[in-house]
Amino acid sequence: MKRLSVLILLTLFILVGAVGAQDVVTVTWWMEPSGSDDHVQELIIDAFNATHDNIQIDYQPQESINDQLRPALQAGVGPDIVWLAGNAAASQYVAGGFLLPLTGYADAYGWADKLLPWAYGAGIVAGELYSIPVTYESMVLFYNKTVFEENGWEVPTTADELWSLAQQTADMGLVPFPYGNATWQPSNEHLMGIYLNNYAGPDNVYAALIGEKAWTDSEFAEATDLLREHIADLGWFGGSLEDYYSLGGWDPAAMLASGEGTMMMSGTWMFRGLSPTFAETGMEWDWAPLPPFSEDADMQVGPYSYDLALGGNLGVNAATEHPEEVGVVLDFLLSDKARILELASTTGFGEWVIPLRYEIDDFPPGTDERVLRFHSDFAATTGAGRYGYTAWTFWPARANQQLWEAIELVWAGEMSVEEYLENHAAEWAQDEADGLVLSILPRE
Amino acid sequence: MAFKIDSRVGVTTAYRWRQILSNYVFLAPVVALNLIVIVIPSLTSIYISMTKWSGLNQPEFIGLANFDRLINDPIYWKSLSHNVIWTIFFLTIPVFMGLMGAFLLSGIKRFQMLYRVAFFIPYVIASVVNTELWRTLLHPRHGIGAWLAKQGIEGFDIRVFGSKHTALYGVAFVDSWHFWGFLVIVYLAAMYQVQPDLYEVAILEGASRFQRFRHVTVPGIRPTLVFTLLMIMIWSVPAFDYIYLLTDGGPAHASEVLGTYLYNMSFFRFEVGYAAAIGVTMALITACIVAIFVILRRRGWEI
Repeated sequence: MKRLSVLILLTLFILVGAVGAQDVVTVTWWMEPSGSDDHVQELIIDAFNATHDNIQIDYQPQESINDQLRPALQAGVGPDIVWLAGNAAASQYVAGGFLLPLTGYADAYGWADKLLPWAYGAGIVAGELYSIPVTYESMVLFYNKTVFEENGWEVPTTADELWSLAQQTADMGLVPFPYGNATWQPSNEHLMGIYLNNYAGPDNVYAALIGEKAWTDSEFAEATDLLREHIADLGWFGGSLEDYYSLGGWDPAAMLASGEGTMMMSGTWMFRGLSPTFAETGMEWDWAPLPPFSEDADMQVGPYSYDLALGGNLGVNAATEHPEEVGVVLDFLLSDKARILELASTTGFGEWVIPLRYEIDDFPPGTDERVLRFHSDFAATTGAGRYGYTAWTFWPARANQQLWEAIELVWAGEMSVEEYLENHAAEWAQDEADGLVLSILPRE
Repeated sequence: MAFKIDSRVGVTTAYRWRQILSNYVFLAPVVALNLIVIVIPSLTSIYISMTKWSGLNQPEFIGLANFDRLINDPIYWKSLSHNVIWTIFFLTIPVFMGLMGAFLLSGIKRFQMLYRVAFFIPYVIASVVNTELWRTLLHPRHGIGAWLAKQGIEGFDIRVFGSKHTALYGVAFVDSWHFWGFLVIVYLAAMYQVQPDLYEVAILEGASRFQRFRHVTVPGIRPTLVFTLLMIMIWSVPAFDYIYLLTDGGPAHASEVLGTYLYNMSFFRFEVGYAAAIGVTMALITACIVAIFVILRRRGWEI
């Protein structure tokens, strides 16, 4: 009798367990490791799992995710939610039919009202939303405030002021713009994007992006040649071209923090590490918008603008068996601004700033004034239509790769600016023929 | 008698068949494995090399267009030339160092094991660790050269990986630093197989240490030496990790090799068809190297 009771109980446990297990859906999520994964786990994943009995997220940071994702999806064993290295990569996966259209979710959950319009629009391919952005960024001018104050320098607001200060600091034996690509060769596109937008102007870049202007036009040639002169002839970036190729990781930030460098054209992802780096030297940093590089007012859109950039996207595996649950997970991500900003604060607002429609009051107390100033001004300025375009967000894959890779041949003196831009136009035409040029929202 | 012979023949034939069958049964797993991981992917690669394919969309058959593009691609030829330089570098410097190290090591009795371990350690350290170590040591701002410059010793603060003139050789140096200890151990093991009598005779004949090395050691370890040369030539074709980690083929393709070029084509540009064409040429080059060795051996070369 005792044995029979135990047997019945065991059977009941197994049956209840089996029924319970069937009710819980596990959504797998592959993500590029960011150094913030513990915080993501705690603030997003654990919070979600604790409040959803029937859906659990299995968050899996993957090393070399770009190399792993493609074969995984092809083999039909990929995760439900996938991290994508930008819109260009997303468009390739869309072309292969590996991503689920998210327009249905977007309509149901009102994502267009939650995300910044340009960031929402960047995820649209052929009229359908396929990805949502993970973080937004822009390019600014960081500077060593302590060195500026000691030398009585004003923050440059025009090209003349910027270049004369760069020359002055170079003459003093300092590095005007510490920067390098030793650990990430595509860093070249940061500079190319800045020079194209700030010299040729965002309107011209936009015209080229939508095919109404040739990449070989004189504005782009002059912008490319200006960068060539600054990086190769004058050695303003890193100290010399060879230094630029030798510096990587946090080297430029360390040079800026030590006073060896004075200014740095870089992305707002640098918010993450500047304060800790400067804390080691006791100096202060600050940032300012990058001024236009051309005095030709017709090419510019105002006193300054911000380049739009997204740092990675999230898409949904077309083969997912849990499309409804995935929608719930993604909407959780887009629905709590306070939670996302708390997560972003763990990175110094260098990452995980999902482009939601924040108000300045949404930012947690104690947020660095410099970070607040950026997000406030970015919203106001881009909202007024003064924005440019970064290559990793708005260029198709092949043209983007040619942009940052072949420019080194120009800097090495092995290719002319004209030939480089002709090749760029040819790559662009090839991407266009393959239907891979990204759709760009009309400028306001 | 005839019956016995027939019987014996019958038994022998059955035995032979069983043996042949059992051989194939034992071979089957390896054959199946090679089919799955070598033959099928190789044939697939050949097909992909004749397609335009992003790795994600439907492959479009384009015949030999990718190979035609290769012929006119200056970066491909530049990469190939770097593979040749890489091969020559590894056939000379690490081999010379390996031979010298092994020969010198064979002459000492005390602490030999300690030296062996010391030489071999870099070989077992992950390439990521090795490259980070040397990137730090050769860093233009806080590496050895910069430190020496601060002490007033100029001339060593060069940007090894940042200069298009030195990047390839700098990476090859780092890779050979990790590799030559392996050659030392291999050559040392081979040297212990050389008959001691030969050295004794050479000493009696008044041969110097170098002459003993030249005329006794080298001929004595020739099969091992040739084998390592063959392997170096084969391994140099898909050279990738140290270059990818230290320079990613830059600056300005100055250290680009076929492996890094193929990788960038596949994973940055989504041109998997073209990358497969590069891969096919790499396989052909490797096949040519092996074929040359086989032909030379058949012609009587002692290799």
